[in-house]
Order: sequence, then C-alpha cells, then structure tokens
Amino acid sequence: MGAKLGNWLDERFGWRSVWAAIFLRKIPHVNWFYTLGSATLFVATLQIVTGILLTMYYVPTPDHAYDSVVYITTQLPAGWFIRGLHHWGASAMVVLTVLHMLRVFFAGSYKFPREMTWLTGVGLLLIAVGFGFTGYLLPWDQKAYWATTVGTEIAGVAPGLGPWILRIARGGDDLTALTLARFFGAHVWVLPAALLGLVSLHLYLVIRNGITAAPERKD
Amino acid sequence: MQPGKREVNRRRFLSAAIAAMGSLIGAAVGVPAVAYIIGPALKQQAEDWVRLGAVNKVELGSPTLFKTTVERQTGWISAQEEVAAYVLTENGQEFSAISNVCTHLGCRVRWIEGEAQFFCPCHNGVFGKDGSVVSGPPPRPLDRFETKIEDGVLFIRRS
Repeated sequence: MGAKLGNWLDERFGWRSVWAAIFLRKIPHVNWFYTLGSATLFVATLQIVTGILLTMYYVPTPDHAYDSVVYITTQLPAGWFIRGLHHWGASAMVVLTVLHMLRVFFAGSYKFPREMTWLTGVGLLLIAVGFGFTGYLLPWDQKAYWATTVGTEIAGVAPGLGPWILRIARGGDDLTALTLARFFGAHVWVLPAALLGLVSLHLYLVIRNGITAAPERKD
Repeated sequence: MQPGKREVNRRRFLSAAIAAMGSLIGAAVGVPAVAYIIGPALKQQAEDWVRLGAVNKVELGSPTLFKTTVERQTGWISAQEEVAAYVLTENGQEFSAISNVCTHLGCRVRWIEGEAQFFCPCHNGVFGKDGSVVSGPPPRPLDRFETKIEDGVLFIRRS
C-alpha cells in the first residue's frame, strides 16, 4: 500500500531521485565533527518552529512586549518550554555555526571547488548573529533595552558612516517603539527570508560538490 | 549469511533508529506546541457575582436597566467590560435579571414602555416582558442571570 502510493507520487513528483540526491548520496570516510553542519540546521529548524509559536502571543510594542513575554512564560501551558528552547537555541546557533566553521577550516574543506560554500556559510554566520542581536531586544526588559543601547552605540562609533548606521538601526536618535518594531520586523521577516535563501544555496552547494574526506596525516 | 543481506539489515536498523529519534523529538516539541496553542481556549471564564446596584431602584412591574463595569483579564491585558441587565420584579420580593443582548445576532435590546416589549433595533426582534420571543428572527428567549440580594444590593451571576 505504502509502496503503491510512493510509486504513484513518484510518477508525478519524481521525489525518489530528489530523496536519493539528498539522503542517499555517497560520502567519504568522515568523523563526528562532520555532523556539526547538520546539527546547526537542526537547531535552526527548531528556532523557526519555536519562533513561529512565540509570535502567536508576542506583541512588539513597548506597552505590551514585556507583559506578553511574561504571559507566555508564566501563564501559558509549556510557554516556558517553548520560550526556553528559543532562548537557548539562539546561543546554540552561534556556538554550532562557529564550531562548524572551525571544522571546515581545519579540515581544509573550504578549498576548490567549495569556496562559495564557505562564503555563503560566512553569510549565514552573520545572519545567525543578526538574529541574536535583534532577538535580544524583543523581551523589552532592562537587559534587552540597555544591551541594544550599547550595541547600537558601538555601531555608532564606526568611522564616517557610524552615526548614520546608529540612526538607521534605531529608527531615530533614541531607542523607541520604532526600534522595537523594526528589530521585530528584521527578526521575523527580513532575516528568516535571508536565512532560507542562503541555507538553500549552501545546501545545494554541499550536495552539488559533495563533502570532503577527513584529511590524513600524509595529506 | 550473504554480505549483501547484512548491509540491508544495518541500513534498515539505522533508518528505523533515525525515524524513532525523529518521532521522539517531533513529539517533544509537538505536544507542548499543541498545549501552548490551545491553552487560552481551554481556560474557563471565571464565574463571578457582579454587583448591579441597590435593589430599591428597581421599578415595580417594569424592567429596569442596570449597567456596571467589571475588570476583565484577557491574556496580559486587563480591561473594563460593561455588564448590563434588565431587572424585573412584580412584587418587590422576587427579582429576575434578563440580559439585554439579543439572541439573534448580539445587538442590544431596549425596553419600550408604551408597548411593554423589548425591541431590538437591528432586525426588528421583539421580546415580551419576561424575555420570551414575540416576533422577529430571535431563535430563543433573552438569557437570564441568576440573582441574589445581599444587604439590599442586587447581584447577578455571569457565566
């Protein structure tokens, strides 16, 4: 029955060849460090799921943001769990991305023909950091407010364009409702769109070029 | 045992293990997610007694409108909500409280003294003094509140 349905769908979608290309591809002899990219992808998926759940209740305005976060954490069933996963997942994202990057670096996997995989990966690291920076403001508590004050102030001391970057990041001179709204917009629309695009490209390149074998002493 | 067969077994085992772990992780996120989404819907509205006003303000034999506001907590927002009821007594002893919300589509009904009927302006629903349907589209009589009197003050019970 299952095989019959699978055949029926395969005749129309050709999903078996796609499945084979993604999951049944040949890989060289590698070690557990080569799973760090998949681990990052897994946590990213978890962040998307828990993030979508959080937007069901979170409201990005100064008069509701903090209260809605408290409501999620203390009043909703499993709200503390969903928010906790998203909170710790954010740190895990950055840690795993960097570890994955170190593995690629020390294994020399960034070399021809995989330079673009590396470059898209650098883009993804920046996106992960961007998620962390914009998400940090959203609870709108003291820590969030002052961390973002300091963070945008740091951007402001860049030579030349600094003051402009600060004003654009904050939506004005001060940290206001505009800042919260644009950080939220960046966090749930701009960055996810960029993430999906770059992850797709990154994975396409991984599958297209295959992965490298772990280098041996004689290499 | 053939070498080929052994490989198939190992592959099957790993596939099953991955599927099992995937289901486990899916359930660990999915079950809390469902609870999280439907949580507020399952919460029962608190039934509470609402203070309407002094019982001696009720006119004998004619429905008297009482309005009051109650504090209501929705999510993290606490807001004022208006509660209104027509209170009727024929003998000054027994009181009945009738909701002023039309049972058709939720407009507010009004007591017309001259015709001794409740009238709904939206679709011409007409109710009798006791809240029963006289004419128009309403599917059932006006809702009634449970009442109680303490120290000359009238309370109704919201449910």
